[in-house]
Amino acid sequence: MKSFIERYGTAVAGLALILFFVIFAPNFATPANLLNVLKDTSFLAIMALGFALALTIAELDLSIAEVASLGAVVAGWMIHKQFDPLLAVVAALAVTASLGGFNGFCVTKLRVPSLIATLGTAAIARGLAFMLTQGVAFVGRWPTNFTGLARGTSFGIPHLVMWMAVATAFAYVLVKWTRTGAHMTATGESDEAARLSGIATARMKRIGLFLSGLFAGITAVLLAANLSSASPNMAGDYFLYAIAAVLLGMTMFEPGKPNIPGTVFAALVLKVLGNGLVLLGAHYYVQDIVLGVIIIGSVAFSASVLKKAAFKV
Amino acid sequence: MVTFKKRMLATTAIALGLLAASTAQAFEVGVIGFQFSAETHARVANAAAAAAKAKGWSVTVLNSEGALPKHAEQFDALIAKKVDAIIVAMGKPIEADAQFKAAKDKGIPVITVQSGSSPHALFDIQSNEYKVGAEAALYLFGQMGYQGNMVSARFDLNAASRIRGKILEQVLSENQAVKELGKFSMARTQSWRDDVRAGMQALLLQNQGKINGIWASFDGQAYIIDDLLKAQGVKKGQIPLVSIDGGPESYRRIADPDSTFLATVTIPFEEMGVMAIDAIDSIVVKKQPKSSITSGPYLFTDAVLVDKNNVQKYLK
Repeated sequence: MKSFIERYGTAVAGLALILFFVIFAPNFATPANLLNVLKDTSFLAIMALGFALALTIAELDLSIAEVASLGAVVAGWMIHKQFDPLLAVVAALAVTASLGGFNGFCVTKLRVPSLIATLGTAAIARGLAFMLTQGVAFVGRWPTNFTGLARGTSFGIPHLVMWMAVATAFAYVLVKWTRTGAHMTATGESDEAARLSGIATARMKRIGLFLSGLFAGITAVLLAANLSSASPNMAGDYFLYAIAAVLLGMTMFEPGKPNIPGTVFAALVLKVLGNGLVLLGAHYYVQDIVLGVIIIGSVAFSASVLKKAAFKV
Repeated sequence: MVTFKKRMLATTAIALGLLAASTAQAFEVGVIGFQFSAETHARVANAAAAAAKAKGWSVTVLNSEGALPKHAEQFDALIAKKVDAIIVAMGKPIEADAQFKAAKDKGIPVITVQSGSSPHALFDIQSNEYKVGAEAALYLFGQMGYQGNMVSARFDLNAASRIRGKILEQVLSENQAVKELGKFSMARTQSWRDDVRAGMQALLLQNQGKINGIWASFDGQAYIIDDLLKAQGVKKGQIPLVSIDGGPESYRRIADPDSTFLATVTIPFEEMGVMAIDAIDSIVVKKQPKSSITSGPYLFTDAVLVDKNNVQKYLK
């Protein structure tokens, strides 16, 4: 029983929270609202998955939000200049993945701790985003073959939900079913032991940080497509929530470890919480306070793993 | 750990239960402020919330924290909540066009404040930034005797501040004895104070001894510039500093003999919040036509220039 609670307690609490809102929050369970919650969750979940992959190899990627904002700005700039939307998407993903790769280079080749390297990358990305925009957002009526990436539906399913499912499946298969994933996990659990057993730990770290940048890029493209706009700090709000989602995810399914199902479920819970509180009429500061309590609670639970990633040099 | 989880769960359930129990069934209005770290956004939203409560309405106040995705999400949530009306302070109607349209499609009236017009909103309450910009520029030029050199602090990311800056340029073009030696536009919405400090410091250093007047696009910028000038030993009136927005801190500085802040054009932010609620009351509750409030996409309010001659009245 104790083991069940340790493993699934937070998930059950999350389900209870959803049930609570279903019963008490007016209009929470309407199809339109549930669909909105799922769509809102997709941005957060995809970005958080990137952070979780970086944490799997025991590195922190604090640049995700700034890198995503830059990716959105690159896509927005190209759409604004009437480049082909496909090219805009490829360029945004290339830029963000490159920055993820740069993080990996700094960590493995220059031996800069990820805490510092990714903070530096965040500053660079922020500067580049402001350089491209001059501080003014790209806004307009963008082509539907770009906005459709986020706003469209296929077979009645919103594209955002489909992207989230694809990203989740990719991350899960990578971590659980591939040799690379197993090596990433081993590297994260014990860098030295993994290296001694023949795993290319530096390569695993580069892969983890590269993927974190790539996932930030996917979030960026979807954000820009959904809002038909791109501004230099548009993903900034997701930073704290993405970390919270991963930390909260570490309290369930595989307690103490960054894990894919936990991350996605936690992202859903956080979005349900925000939506449900609004429906209950809670003011904005209540949401902030609740988020803070969740972060502290989840960090308290998974402190050892986080400390390991944050303070190793 | 199990006990800890149980306690956390129980506490959360109790808190949420209390919240659910307090959910009123009265007329319900949602108020979204784009970024409460900007004082003016909070002033509009808080005044609107207070006015709504005074009418016995239920009100939900939300802060988008300067994030467009959050702005859109909050709109979606209020639409799902089926509020009776939405008020948006300093919102982004172009970026959140889909949400504005969704609200209109669901029959939820939206009134914006200082946001710019939207075809999906009833109207935007604003202080006629064109007039406000002209008043501030002309007052500054008057203090300079319509000659000399000035520098300006801009904020082009914000529609209202951008209009003020454009009007300054028009006034400059008609008064060619006044020359703008330099300008900067702050870009970052969260660490903007650093941008203003750095930008103005650079302008002051580049143009030392040549500046006869300073124009700031909003009072928050003016406070930082005032502190910089005071630190350099500049006395009141030596380099006239004029801005726009108003508020207790502005009045205190205008009245302070040690401050270089000379005048502001006071925008009645609290009044705008109240006007939005009154308009909702007239149009939605009392079913009066929108044209009884305003016929166009804007409802303009009067802004007042406050300087040493009338500041005491505002300090009270």
